[in-house]
Amino acid sequence: MKPLDPRLLREVAPARRYIIVTAGLGALLAVLITLQALVIGRALAPVLAPAPLDDDGLHWWGFLVPQTAREIGTAAAWLVAIVAARVGVTWLQERLAHRAGSQVISQLREKVVDHTAALGPRWVASGAGADVTTTVTRGLDALLPYFVRYLPQLMLAVTVTPALVLVVLGLDWISVIIVVVTIPLIPIFMILIGLVTRERSARHLEAMQRLSRRTLDLIAGIPTLKALGREHGPGRRVRELGEAQRKATMGSLRVAFLSGMVLELLTTLSVAIIAVTLGFRLVDGLVSIETALAVLVLAPEVYLPLRNVGTHFHASADGIAAADAAFDVLETPAPVIGAEQGVEAGSLAGATITAAGLAVATPDGTRDAPGDATLTALPGRLTALVGPNGEGKTTTLLALMGLLPVDRGEISATAADSALILLSEVDGESWTANFAYVPQRPDLGPEGRTLSLGQRHLTAMEAAFAAADRPVLVLDEPTAHLDGRSRTALIARLRAAAQQGRTVIVATHEPELVDAADAVVEIRAGVRS
Amino acid sequence: MSTGQDRTGAGQERRSASRPLIAALKVTEISRWRTINAIFWGALAQGSAVGLAAVAAWLIARAAGMPSPADLALAATIVRFFGIGRGLFRYVERLFSHDTALGGVARLRERVYDALAASGADRVLALRRGDILARLGTDVDAIGDAWVRAVYPLGVALLISTATASISLVLVPAAGIVLAVCLAVAIVAPAALTWRSARLAARLGSAADARVSTASLSAIESAPEHRVWGTWGTAMAELRAADSDAEAAREAAARPASLAVAVQALAAGVALIGSLVIAVTTSGIPPTTAAIVALLPLAAFESAATVPTAIMQVFRSREAALRIEEITGADLASEPSWPASSPAEATPAVPRLEARGLHVGWPGGPSIGPIDLDLPPGGSLAVVGRSGIGKTTLLLTLAGALPPVAGRALIDGRDATAADVGRLVAVTAEDAHLFGTSVVENLRVADGALTDEGALEALREVGAATWVNGLPEALDTPIGDGGGTVSGGERRRLLLARALVHPAPVQLLDEPAEHLDDAGVETLVQTLGAAAGQHRSIVVVTHDLALTRHVDRVLDMDSLEQTEPDTAAPTDE
Repeated sequence: MKPLDPRLLREVAPARRYIIVTAGLGALLAVLITLQALVIGRALAPVLAPAPLDDDGLHWWGFLVPQTAREIGTAAAWLVAIVAARVGVTWLQERLAHRAGSQVISQLREKVVDHTAALGPRWVASGAGADVTTTVTRGLDALLPYFVRYLPQLMLAVTVTPALVLVVLGLDWISVIIVVVTIPLIPIFMILIGLVTRERSARHLEAMQRLSRRTLDLIAGIPTLKALGREHGPGRRVRELGEAQRKATMGSLRVAFLSGMVLELLTTLSVAIIAVTLGFRLVDGLVSIETALAVLVLAPEVYLPLRNVGTHFHASADGIAAADAAFDVLETPAPVIGAEQGVEAGSLAGATITAAGLAVATPDGTRDAPGDATLTALPGRLTALVGPNGEGKTTTLLALMGLLPVDRGEISATAADSALILLSEVDGESWTANFAYVPQRPDLGPEGRTLSLGQRHLTAMEAAFAAADRPVLVLDEPTAHLDGRSRTALIARLRAAAQQGRTVIVATHEPELVDAADAVVEIRAGVRS
Repeated sequence: MSTGQDRTGAGQERRSASRPLIAALKVTEISRWRTINAIFWGALAQGSAVGLAAVAAWLIARAAGMPSPADLALAATIVRFFGIGRGLFRYVERLFSHDTALGGVARLRERVYDALAASGADRVLALRRGDILARLGTDVDAIGDAWVRAVYPLGVALLISTATASISLVLVPAAGIVLAVCLAVAIVAPAALTWRSARLAARLGSAADARVSTASLSAIESAPEHRVWGTWGTAMAELRAADSDAEAAREAAARPASLAVAVQALAAGVALIGSLVIAVTTSGIPPTTAAIVALLPLAAFESAATVPTAIMQVFRSREAALRIEEITGADLASEPSWPASSPAEATPAVPRLEARGLHVGWPGGPSIGPIDLDLPPGGSLAVVGRSGIGKTTLLLTLAGALPPVAGRALIDGRDATAADVGRLVAVTAEDAHLFGTSVVENLRVADGALTDEGALEALREVGAATWVNGLPEALDTPIGDGGGTVSGGERRRLLLARALVHPAPVQLLDEPAEHLDDAGVETLVQTLGAAAGQHRSIVVVTHDLALTRHVDRVLDMDSLEQTEPDTAAPTDE
């Protein structure tokens, strides 16, 4: 698993900026940690030294913190400045992390929603589309802990850890050998543990999922048991399943926690070994007191980011999964309807719109709905699509408007001057701009949502009648929310619109509207061929 | 007993402290001994880190005096022991605490299950499947998380901070006081700030998130419309506005959270400076003591760093506990009181069902009525009407599962109550659950004493015998979740067979004909005809006209009128 998705950096500007700033803050933090360790070494050394100190015990790193810091007043002044800076960096880092995470969530959500619209209604209704709603509503939230907890530690692991290794190298190369030997052991042991226990983990995981499914099954059945008066008893079964699940989970945790233990063990043990070797070399006078103290303070800081990366592993996994889900959507190519670089369709006023042998696969791919739709919608006429639910009336309407790619068949228009316009040869958007469309559930924005569905429908239809520059009127179930009187009135208006020369196409179940239509086309689903 | 009142009550409850969480934690029945044990192992792990720092400081200070290496041997061993101990103790602590919490979760889940099962039928049947799964699934797990991620780490943080400050206090009292004060600040202030952050996130965040969800989903749903009208930009602008609202909410919550982290860094820094200055300037203490006191603050704050995460978990678990309390509506601490179920009266007499001026509806929702009807023992009634008019609601009210909005629903002349559900009156809901077990066990859900022969007989009656015999293990074939899939028609037949074997003398069936083909409906009609009249009464809610021709009376919910069936039905009176 990649700890950082490169697509996140490429596609989302706040993420890119954040990573750069965090790396910079990491470098600054490395400097502050180093200074703090050197000052502590300077300040404490005179207390511990049996004789007054003469040489600079920090060798060439001594230039960073002058020997005057051996005087406690100076050391304290240094430390006040360092601590103030560390508090500032910590606070800034945390604020930036929250802000970046928050902006990335918003930006990715907007990108996903935008691209989902381009992918079209049929994709949304398919299995892949079902996850989009989860992604845009809750899924992306997992990116916040990823940005706030995990990424900063990851950046510290690639800035602070190597920087401090270099500092320790300048102070005491023997300690660096211990560090350099142990750090690669961490991934090696983790991989080894993973390999050895893979089969066992898979077995436990399977058992846990099975038990969890059975528990949820019992839980989901509570209303049914209640309705049958049989609710007393399964509680005990829930408990037994819970106990079995505890055993299975513990089996898997015994393995899963091993890698955490190895991480802690290796990092802490190497700090201990560094301390012990420093002690013995100090006795022999092989290392200065100031250096020994500075390295003792630095050693745990070298490993801290690595340990924190391990601690926040879950934040990482969830964040990566959320980003993956978003990019999976963004990388799905949107269908092209009409021709890329096609010519403008021009106005379809007075044109006859024809569909021949139209077939569109259902989202689950089991059937075609419509299966084989052929229709001709004349200008000045009212054309009604009829047929049972789920057979493809709405899909046919969407295809006619150039909003859906079709699997078979052709959509075209014959202009008033007999010129033939094929949808597949013109620019899709310019074709679509000819239609005034009222769907079953019109969306009029936030204000519209306070209206009832019936009122929304009426408002949307008024807009469609008024849009004189859109010669084709397409209405999906226009009479669904109307009582008898308004129904009759609406049908009269549809007839009037047709008489004014507009092409009117409706999908309907309403007998009164079907009777009023000039042409009736039955839409039927077909088997997938 | 209205749900509306219960909700307000729970809303006021929210203001008070974490009582529901404490109650839920108690129900996990995790013993004090196990808690002490978990904190003990955690403290050993964290203590190893502190001990390592202290003994290493002593070691370096002692070595600086250039003694013989033998003087360092013991300290060197102790340092290595702590180096190994931290990882090992942490491993033991994690296993122990998870084991403890999982056991507690199993007990809590049983109790919530029982509490829910024992609560009123109106409450249970009104719940959505997703809600039940979330409350008994993730919410119960969240109570277990409260132990592992909040109670134990907070216990360890308090214990270790006290111990560390005490060491310093014993060695150099002034430094000890500085460390103690700084540790207290590093625990209390971040706890308060994190709590504030969590509350802000919950209060501002949920409204903003709801707006974002609405904007995203309606943009996706209405995308074709917007593309036709060229108004996609408006939809996206609305989403952007909602998003910036949500960003502002997250920003408000982030402020105290960032402050919490900064306060911890500040407290640790102040403790370091104070201890160092005091250690260096205090005269008359050995260098080893000075080194320990000066360097201890570097390791002392690690356990306090877990406080914000722990407090966040307390907040989440408390919300989960509130939701659990809301759904069960019962005090989990007390044993559930089961309605008197008496297997002794195995086959009660068939009662008379009546409705007088009955208005039905869900609490707080619209109601429909008045309905007057009389279903004598052995009678049959079909309820028809357009969807959403309240047919299912009527069914549940007749059964006693829902209280009437007005008027009365009577069983043998007395008001129907929730205790009648499943005993005198059984309901087979449209979305009744098939359990992930065998075919025969799914029928035994209705009658635990059902024999294989009895099950086959019932399956034959509903025309499912051929299908079942064709299954790989016949009656013992697993179905439902985790088993073979069952088609809509087969599901209906199984549910009908289940209703047939159920001992309750009145059976209410919601849409039994849905997904059945013509032959299936024919079988259903015959089965119902045979079942009604002899030893039971039957009420069906249906869209299917074929069914309405074979009952005694038909109630049309649209007109609230009762009619005789269209064609002559076999009479029984």
